Amino acid sequence: MTGVQKTKGARIAAARVGIGGPVGSGKTALVERLIPALLGRGIDLAVITNDLVTAEDAERIRRSGLIDPARVSAVEAGACPHTVIREDPTLNIEAADELERRFPGVELILLESGGDNLASTFSRDLTDFWMFVIDVAGGDDIPRKRGPGVIRCDLLVINKTDLAPHVGVDLARMHEQALAVRSNRPVLLTNCRKGEGIDAVVGMIERDVLFRA
Amino acid sequence: MFDTATALALLQYGDSAYPAGGFAFSWGIEGLAADGLLENARDLDDFVWEHLTLRWNSMDRVLLDRAYRAGDIAAIAAIDRDAEAATPSAPMREGSRRAGRALLGVSVRLGGALSVAYRTCLADAPHLGHLPVVQAVVYRDAGLAPQAAELVSGWTLVHGLVSAAVRLGVIGHVEAQRALQSARAVLAELLAEPMLPDALPSSFTPLIDIAVSRGKARPIRMFTT
Ligand SMILES: Nc1nc2c(ncn2[C@@H]2O[C@H](COP(=O)(O)OP(=O)(O)OP(=O)(O)O)[C@@H](O)[C@H]2O)c(=O)[nH]1
Ligand SMILES: [Mg+2]
Repeated sequence: MTGVQKTKGARIAAARVGIGGPVGSGKTALVERLIPALLGRGIDLAVITNDLVTAEDAERIRRSGLIDPARVSAVEAGACPHTVIREDPTLNIEAADELERRFPGVELILLESGGDNLASTFSRDLTDFWMFVIDVAGGDDIPRKRGPGVIRCDLLVINKTDLAPHVGVDLARMHEQALAVRSNRPVLLTNCRKGEGIDAVVGMIERDVLFRA
Repeated sequence: MFDTATALALLQYGDSAYPAGGFAFSWGIEGLAADGLLENARDLDDFVWEHLTLRWNSMDRVLLDRAYRAGDIAAIAAIDRDAEAATPSAPMREGSRRAGRALLGVSVRLGGALSVAYRTCLADAPHLGHLPVVQAVVYRDAGLAPQAAELVSGWTLVHGLVSAAVRLGVIGHVEAQRALQSARAVLAELLAEPMLPDALPSSFTPLIDIAVSRGKARPIRMFTT
């Protein structure tokens, strides 16, 4: 974590939390679960999406009725989902700065990466904290492949726990191996379909990102 | 023409990896390809020529030069307003501002004095921040002379167009090098002709303008412009 940033006028900048992970692992579903949970705890929130070829995710969140649509920004990635969050995250930084200008009280900006592969990681200049979402149905060998996304994120989320019995995945073992490759850094299990495990993610954001007790 | 230190600075600022969001802008290449007007390396050469000759040289370069010579922030903002007024296509204006503000943002974070002052001025001016004007501000902060600033401006445009064509599958990576080579010749010829001090910004690239303008209406889109 790069910690809290200062901007002009000594206003404390919003914390920026990245959400990366392979295509379809449930990043947007997690955002849709996090929004009401975070708002419910009185956290002033905005969202940025990096859609690959459409504004599909941005539109889905805007239409969800969960958050003021003006608080959702879309950044085009020019077919480079890696680049736009790591080598050249300038457009995301500008979008986040712009949200802060328009909503001066905003405390937390969630930034969903376009669906990518296990090598994607966020620039330290873009996010203060980032999570990586993989899902059970992608296979229980995903943690063993030791992709930089899986290894280096601040929080690994294993989503779609409900699917474990259907795809022959031993959830406990997958969790264990994820912890092992990450030297016991945080791994949380979620079922975004039912909203299970979301509280733990929110708790971690409150504690480790927003420094609320 | 340029000493080693300047040449090295040109390599840094003209590098496609310079983190100013350039990869997200196709400046019409995506739309032209989608409409079947850009299908191969030769079409690309033509559009790069058109962009450079009928838009960049007579518009961006003029604005950049004027902004570079502007005496103060207010004078720079006045040129920025000209850029806004001289760009009829709304998506083109928006793209130019987004690209400009991204470039400015990097320079501000690197501590460029003029960039910091100009960014403060832009806070209350949502219609300003056009790319060529910001390039003047940023490259002045970077210590580039006007000719060097023009060169980086032209080259980053060329690079953006060609790499967009590669990512859209219009050309391959080897053809891209050929496209860059031909574009270099066009750019060199244009740069050899100095800017007239009283030149007014103008452009005539109807196909490109239409392609950019239709961008928002396309359901499938990877690029900002
Ligand atoms: N069964 C089950 N399905 C889920 C869960 N979370 C998400 N899904 C489904 O998985 C599919 C993909 O979810 P998204 O949230 O769109 O995934 P994403 O990671 O945002 O996808 P991209 O942005 O395209 O990379 C959708 O059909 C979701 O309904 C879950 O916990 N359980
Ligand atoms: Mg998504």
